[in-house]
Amino acid sequence: MTVSRFRLCAFALFSVAVAFGAAAIDYSASLKAGKAELKSAGALAFGPDGILFVGDSVSAAIVAIDTGDRKAAAKAGPLEIKAVNEKIAALLGTAPDQILINDMVVNPISRNTYLAVSRGRGPEATPVILRVTPAGKIEEFSLDNVKSARVAIPNAPDAQAKDARGANRRMEAITDLAFVDGKVFVAGLSNEEFASNLRAIPFPFREADKGANVEIYHGQHGRWETNSPVRTFVPYEIKKEAHLLAAYTCTPLVKFPISTLKPGTKVVGTTIAELGNRNRPLDMIIYKKAGNEYILMSNSSRGVMKMSTEKIDTFGAITQQTERQGLSYETIPELKGVEQLDKYDDSSALIVARLVEGGSLDLKTIALP
Amino acid sequence: MRRAVALACLAAACAAAQQIRLESAGARSWFRVEGAAPGGRLAVFVDTAPGASPDATPMLGSSRAEGGSLVFDPRFPLQPGLRYRAEFRPASGPPVIATFEIPRPAAAVTRLEHVYPSADRLPENQLKLYLHFSAPMSRGEAYRRVQLLENGRGPVELPFLELAEELWDPDGKRLTLLFDPGRVKQDLLPRREAGPALEAGKSYTLVIDGAFLDASSRPLDQEYRKTFQVGPADRDPPDPKTWRLGPPSAASTEPLSLELPEPMDQALLESLLEVTDLRGQAVAGSVEVDRQETRWRFRPAAPWQPGNYIVLVGKTLEDLAGNSIGRPFEVDVFERVTERIARETARLPFAVR
Repeated sequence: MTVSRFRLCAFALFSVAVAFGAAAIDYSASLKAGKAELKSAGALAFGPDGILFVGDSVSAAIVAIDTGDRKAAAKAGPLEIKAVNEKIAALLGTAPDQILINDMVVNPISRNTYLAVSRGRGPEATPVILRVTPAGKIEEFSLDNVKSARVAIPNAPDAQAKDARGANRRMEAITDLAFVDGKVFVAGLSNEEFASNLRAIPFPFREADKGANVEIYHGQHGRWETNSPVRTFVPYEIKKEAHLLAAYTCTPLVKFPISTLKPGTKVVGTTIAELGNRNRPLDMIIYKKAGNEYILMSNSSRGVMKMSTEKIDTFGAITQQTERQGLSYETIPELKGVEQLDKYDDSSALIVARLVEGGSLDLKTIALP
Repeated sequence: MRRAVALACLAAACAAAQQIRLESAGARSWFRVEGAAPGGRLAVFVDTAPGASPDATPMLGSSRAEGGSLVFDPRFPLQPGLRYRAEFRPASGPPVIATFEIPRPAAAVTRLEHVYPSADRLPENQLKLYLHFSAPMSRGEAYRRVQLLENGRGPVELPFLELAEELWDPDGKRLTLLFDPGRVKQDLLPRREAGPALEAGKSYTLVIDGAFLDASSRPLDQEYRKTFQVGPADRDPPDPKTWRLGPPSAASTEPLSLELPEPMDQALLESLLEVTDLRGQAVAGSVEVDRQETRWRFRPAAPWQPGNYIVLVGKTLEDLAGNSIGRPFEVDVFERVTERIARETARLPFAVR
């Protein structure tokens, strides 16, 4: 999904290494060789050195996998695979309606694209990680013999609770992941209680941290507060301080500094944009064009939004009733039906989209708008 | 496991000594060509349309020589209901092509068993609905198969938060539908633009399409409808002080009963309450929730011993509008800041005599 994640945080890591004279961390050394077990493959994010993080909602875990994919890309040209879902289905020996592409992320080093796919649509679906090369070849990324590590996501306090039939039906859908400042950030949404718990898990994994309860002031007047869950987010530096820009289930786009996210604390974010009806954020990327910086946000089948970050650092926390403030946006009408979005290179994004209603689901690069 | 049916044997295949067989043991199946001379290639395709497409993608798998045979092991199990085309291309001579259909096992038709809340009157700021099915369902089409109608007017546009992940339980038998929080919460742009999904004084029908597919890609037995009235918004957190405990008698296995003045979220009411003794030791037993989620009952596994007990209520217990104990769903940060005090658990003491 989302991101120029790694690229954004690379600067922060570099700064730390220089400032303290620290040796570079060998992330791969913290991983163990063998079979990486996944019960599901959802949100994906790249960390440093070709480490791929996979959100496994069914196991309530994050799995870090060393892809070994560290060979810098030669200049990559445009990529297009028509009816990518049909090709994937054929490869996996099933029908296109039995395939779900849950997430897509581009390895910023190699420009290989990784797809988290479900083969089957029921609870017994098989998770598969596929790799698409810049030349357009689709191959399975086998998990049978890789270096990996997993961390259980700390659950809600009452997660072990059973219902009247003795079943624990609670599950948390991991809706987004990002690696920044040595931590994997995890956004999730429970199928029972409505609460916001954004988790930050230090990598290499030790134990998952409790997560900060993120509370935000929503809305035009910053008046009604709830525990609304974060849906998707992207790391972003504002005045050299690492922030998360987070889109909430009730649509505001909020910024908060990563330094304020401490286990067990409550954090107040700042609403930087109020997105109206029909905007349900799926993925966000940040990019530069002609000296300006933009956020590109895909929404569920309703077009892609482009926002300039020009005034992003001027918004203060909403602590009193104020008039409307926030980033303005334009909608790119020709980008309807975008299901997956990630940054491909400095001038293009990669999408999985059904750009024509009733048309094929294609994977293709597009020029950044 | 399944019995594969060879459908056709095309071209030179029937006449040739070489035939492609589909064999299986347990959950595994594989394709075999006996007497295959070295240098031949065996590939398998999902047979979606009659006639081989020259650029068709073969399914993943590995080939190996076994005795005089060439064997292809598919990377993934063959799927019931689909047809596969195996092509053996010898180093010389015509190809051998055979198709195989994997039959679907017979299974009971899936039903929608219950919709929670059970009540037929819901608050305007109702937060969640739970749909319980009799068998695991397919992910990826929930929002196309569930529709909310305002009675007398027609479909409500985008009433639910649509998440690609969809909110299923681990068995795939319960779907959680969240009303779009942007339209539930006051003062947000979606609500001002489109209004709340539910409005007090109106009635609605939830329609679950009979074409909703279960995990085996079979439709439900029928379409389902639940009609309900909508009343005013509920912005008050549940207050355990207003709950009424009915303690059981000692030496009996009568249920402990807890009556609530308003319905609670069914999933949370069933799972977040616990009975302990004063030392914090949990009492074993089973829970029943009924009377439209306004009564919780706990039946002990062994007869009650006389003494003092506590019902511990998890603080995340929510009412229908997502107000949890000690915390309303929405807090007006300018006027009601004092209401932001959250308790870990509510404790309801009772004695068995």
